[in-house]
Amino acid sequence: MTEPRSVAFRKEREGQWFELDRLTDKALTSGLKSLDAGELHRLPVLYRSCIASLSVARRTAMDQALVDYLEALAARAYLAVYGSRRSTRGALRAVLFEEFPRRVRALGRELALSTGFLTLGAVVAWTLMSVEPGWYDAFVNPALAGGRDPYASTESLRAALYDGGEQGEALSLFASFLFVHNARIGMLCFALGFAAGIPTAMLLFTNGLMLGAFLHLYHSRGLLFELVGWLLPHGIPEIGAVILCGAAGLHLGRSMLLPGARTVRAALADAGRRSSVVVAGAVLLFGVAGLVEGIFRQAVTNDLVRYALAGFNALWFFSWLFLAGREKKPGAREASISRGASRGTGTPRGTGMSSSGGPGA
Amino acid sequence: MRESELHLDVVGPEGVPLRFPAATLAERAMAFGIDLMILFLSLAVVAIALVAAGAASGFATLVGLGLVAAFVIQHGYFIFFEIHWQGTTPGKRLLKLKVVSRDGAGLRPDAVLARNLMRDVELFVPLATIDAPEQLVGDAPWWMLAPTSLWLAVMLFLPVIAKERTRVGDLVGGTIVVRIPEATLARDEAARTSLVPGAPPSDAITFTQPQLDHYGELELETLADLMRKHDQGAASTQDLKIVARTIAQKIGYGGPTPTDDPVRFLRAFYKQQRAFLEKKLLFGKRKTSKFDD
Repeated sequence: MTEPRSVAFRKEREGQWFELDRLTDKALTSGLKSLDAGELHRLPVLYRSCIASLSVARRTAMDQALVDYLEALAARAYLAVYGSRRSTRGALRAVLFEEFPRRVRALGRELALSTGFLTLGAVVAWTLMSVEPGWYDAFVNPALAGGRDPYASTESLRAALYDGGEQGEALSLFASFLFVHNARIGMLCFALGFAAGIPTAMLLFTNGLMLGAFLHLYHSRGLLFELVGWLLPHGIPEIGAVILCGAAGLHLGRSMLLPGARTVRAALADAGRRSSVVVAGAVLLFGVAGLVEGIFRQAVTNDLVRYALAGFNALWFFSWLFLAGREKKPGAREASISRGASRGTGTPRGTGMSSSGGPGA
Repeated sequence: MRESELHLDVVGPEGVPLRFPAATLAERAMAFGIDLMILFLSLAVVAIALVAAGAASGFATLVGLGLVAAFVIQHGYFIFFEIHWQGTTPGKRLLKLKVVSRDGAGLRPDAVLARNLMRDVELFVPLATIDAPEQLVGDAPWWMLAPTSLWLAVMLFLPVIAKERTRVGDLVGGTIVVRIPEATLARDEAARTSLVPGAPPSDAITFTQPQLDHYGELELETLADLMRKHDQGAASTQDLKIVARTIAQKIGYGGPTPTDDPVRFLRAFYKQQRAFLEKKLLFGKRKTSKFDD
């Protein structure tokens, strides 16, 4: 009497499956690092043969228990093999100086839109305040204004620019408070993009209103030059980061409204992944702004030195975002485009294993 | 494998769809609760350490440092673990959950970033709004209030409504949360020939081709289930006798009375029926059930 073919099939491969199960258990409970070189080499080989077994069993085996087992084993092994792409050395550097600026540049339209909303807010506030200075109260949160309002004397407004009343330790507290506050706003700006980008646009607009109100208040007292000198050194990274977060949020909103040929879900995930790197970089920029604010702002009281510092900040800021991470070789552009395309469609680009000496696919 | 469970198919890089059980909401909530507890504990440790250091330095610097540390811990916790622990956090590891990229490629750090950047707005903003609505919406007119509250409700309850139990962060990061499946290989019923030692092998019972032409895959699988249940004591020998008699009648079996040793009879039938169906499949003919011609 002949045996069912699936019995022989199972007998031949059982040993490999059990070995894969053992390696997978080890990798899932104590991490890939717990496998030695030989096991690390063996895992992807066994995984692929298990996938092949699963495909055969699904089509031809009349034993549901066997198919169920292979389904579960293959899924477990997938988690061990493809669980996460482990970062290699220098990954942080590559993200900071290549991926982040590239992702920023890819958001060109959203950056323009985001800057537009912020500027629109500033222009509206400026215009309304030149008609009626009382609008100031509607635009600026008194907690953040710290007494800098239309009812203050010109002298105290000037004093706020040069000594601010806070010294030493209080200043560092203020700087870290501002960092946390701003970083939260920035992340919110991105996350609210999920509501089709509308709240992001509103948040940018209201921040613009605040900026415009400040500018007009100091302009009306003839202190605009001094204010800009005070504002720009930390304002370049700070306002830049707000614009970046806004652009990331608008990108998210745009992908929902105009997903193109893809499904909304695929477009949203793609946009989310691309812009999350931009937001992470922006949080870093808020940190830099906080440092500039806490260390330099009140210590440096000379207007010209302040403008020089602003120029220096603008130099590294814009060259970082617009020059870093460009590939120099001719033809490199095509390479980066095709790489971007493969990223979008989710084509696998090696696994964490292949760097550790595993065999190629 | 429980039948009622929600399964998610992920197409891996090999092009073969793999099947994962979706993590239930209760499991995810528990994992999140454990993570939240660890988060609060580490915040408390940082606070104590700062107060201890407070004797040396000034008060304001300390508070400033504490603010930044709290921010980094609160937002870095999930991102750090999900990147370094391959899509798990301490809470997820305890409950055997894992974050997986929906497109089947490896989970990349940018997906982890995206799914965790949304956490604030999808959970804490709606909760804070329920707690103190005036802070977020203030004295907004009703036409702004209504869509805002609707939106916040959708954010908060999306995992309940969504087909794959995704939260907003999962949508934006393109991820899903799965339970690591258990893999246990049941004994092959066709590979065993006899139950009682010393009994004649079931191969002695043979069926003819027309006798094997009645049943399909569904009946075969039901029979395998029944025999496994009998081994575990969940089905009585009486049940086996009824089934053996029914099969013998249907296929017109004329050998020794099947109800004398139903286990031996059924095992022989199962093995030969399976071999027959698999052989037919080799020629491209699939018979899914007895109604399938």
